[in-house]
Amino acid sequence: MACNLVVDGIKVEIGSCKILDNVEITVEGGEMLAIIGPNGSGKTTLLKCISRAISPISGEILVCGRPAKEYNNREYSKRVSAMLPQWPSGFSMKSYEIVLMGCRNQARGIWWEGDGELEVARAALGVLDAMDLYERDFDTLSSGEQRKVLIAKSLAQKTGIILLDEPVAYLDMKYKLEVMNVLRALADMGKTVLVTLHEIDLASKYCENVVVLSHGRVVAAGKPKEVITSELLSSVYGVDAVVKWDEEIDYPIIMPKTRRIPKGEASCLI
Amino acid sequence: MNPRPISKRLRLTLYMAILSIFFIGAFMASIMIGSMPLSPSNVIDAIINPRNDPVASSIVLGYRIPRVLFASLTGFVLGISGGVIQTLTRNPLADPYITGMSSGAALGAAIAFVVPFFPYFAVPALAFIGGLSMLLLSIFLAKKAGAGSLGFILAGIAVGTFASAILMVVLAISSEKAHGIIYWLFGSFSTSTWGDFQVALTVSAPVLVFVLYKARDLNILLLGEEHAAQLGIDSKRLWLLLLLSSSLGVSVCVSFCGIIGFIGLVAPHMVRLVIGSDNRIVLPLAGFTGSLLIVVADDIVRNPLNPIAEMPVGSVTSMIGVPFFVYLLIKKGKSFGM
Repeated sequence: MACNLVVDGIKVEIGSCKILDNVEITVEGGEMLAIIGPNGSGKTTLLKCISRAISPISGEILVCGRPAKEYNNREYSKRVSAMLPQWPSGFSMKSYEIVLMGCRNQARGIWWEGDGELEVARAALGVLDAMDLYERDFDTLSSGEQRKVLIAKSLAQKTGIILLDEPVAYLDMKYKLEVMNVLRALADMGKTVLVTLHEIDLASKYCENVVVLSHGRVVAAGKPKEVITSELLSSVYGVDAVVKWDEEIDYPIIMPKTRRIPKGEASCLI
Repeated sequence: MNPRPISKRLRLTLYMAILSIFFIGAFMASIMIGSMPLSPSNVIDAIINPRNDPVASSIVLGYRIPRVLFASLTGFVLGISGGVIQTLTRNPLADPYITGMSSGAALGAAIAFVVPFFPYFAVPALAFIGGLSMLLLSIFLAKKAGAGSLGFILAGIAVGTFASAILMVVLAISSEKAHGIIYWLFGSFSTSTWGDFQVALTVSAPVLVFVLYKARDLNILLLGEEHAAQLGIDSKRLWLLLLLSSSLGVSVCVSFCGIIGFIGLVAPHMVRLVIGSDNRIVLPLAGFTGSLLIVVADDIVRNPLNPIAEMPVGSVTSMIGVPFFVYLLIKKGKSFGM
């Protein structure tokens, strides 16, 4: 199942606006790679390119050594699964129905799901410790629970490569860690995990490598310990922060310096 | 844990059985009611021993059975196509006519009425051509605009409005023939023949089989093209195929019986309000609901005193369907989403 992913110099323009410029990334099976970068740096666009929702104007994406555009939809859905945000809601579907949609790429039965598919769906929810959501209505779940169901859907696709766009956004501390633990476990199972994150500390803790995007370009890449520095935070994010790597708990501690808005500057808003 | 799809299968069977009982009742009534009322034994006799009562037999076999069969088929096609098109456009207000098809068909029929020396089958033929060409035009325009399913709805409205405008002109300049056109626009099964039924069945049977066969993928299309593609569906092609095939079925039925509104919009919603949004259950049940509604309406429109002066079947479907629909909406409005 292991499958590597190579993004070879892709370029994306929307209108006259350059979104991605010569981005190069390589992820091996069993590796978990985080893409970090400020809002608007092109992280989501990159994932959309890999999931083929957008096609780049130049450059190539190689999945298991073969160009992404040579696959048909069904073959590609067996290689790459994506958890992108903006999952449509309001369709009153049960959680298991959504997870079963992930099994569509393996389906033999044309009408009802087979036992094999049901087993996969249950296993996917089981791995995430979310079997209690099985029969629940998706729209009534909390965002943390919804995230789990959507990850289960990606798992049910049984792909070697999993893309996740901000899987821990809006989640509380407990769910953040739970989701990251699951992703780590997937990478340890041999899957290629590519994840965009705003949580730099979580990225550094869980991922072998991080790639920093800024204005559509890769500005830094490598081991988190080497990449995440206070210089990087100030140059990429424009944030002055102290970065300390706590060796004892093996965790980066990022302490931003705050700016107080001087009195009088916003007086007209009061 | 109990695998849910089995219970889905059970529910489908159960609802199907309930609907069939009502449907068989309405179907039988449809054969018995009319300017010459017949008892059930008359009907059986007329079918088994046509020589005993040639008049009754010719009414039953020559008029009433083809009429009720055609009405049932039309309801079935409208119900299923409505469900498909609502899902494809992801718009609960969509119906099979949203493509501008009804206006196109009406225009085609009107032209066939107005032009002298056209044979009798020109009306269905031109209605079919008119409906289908408006459909293709709105698909083409939507592709040009490239605005997804919303663009498609807007293109359909534009095309439909344009066709209606021309229809008004045709109506205005054809004063003495306007009555025939308006009567066609009401929709009626009073002239349905075996031939109509055979043609409509030949076209819509493969279409219905295809659409039902794709019901599971249709569920995934509800998520939108992008998500569906990532789940392994050839979504662009499937979208177009489903739209074309469901419209083809509607277009052939409508070209014989005229515009019958409301069924395609409401039958799928009635089913969704009761049993949820899985198209594998919704579509077949919406088909049966459509048939039932249309056959009951067609029983009500018959005027035993004057077979020529029937009520328009489209208004009757609305009059019996709307109160029930509103009741469901108020009772279960929360699950109105698709």
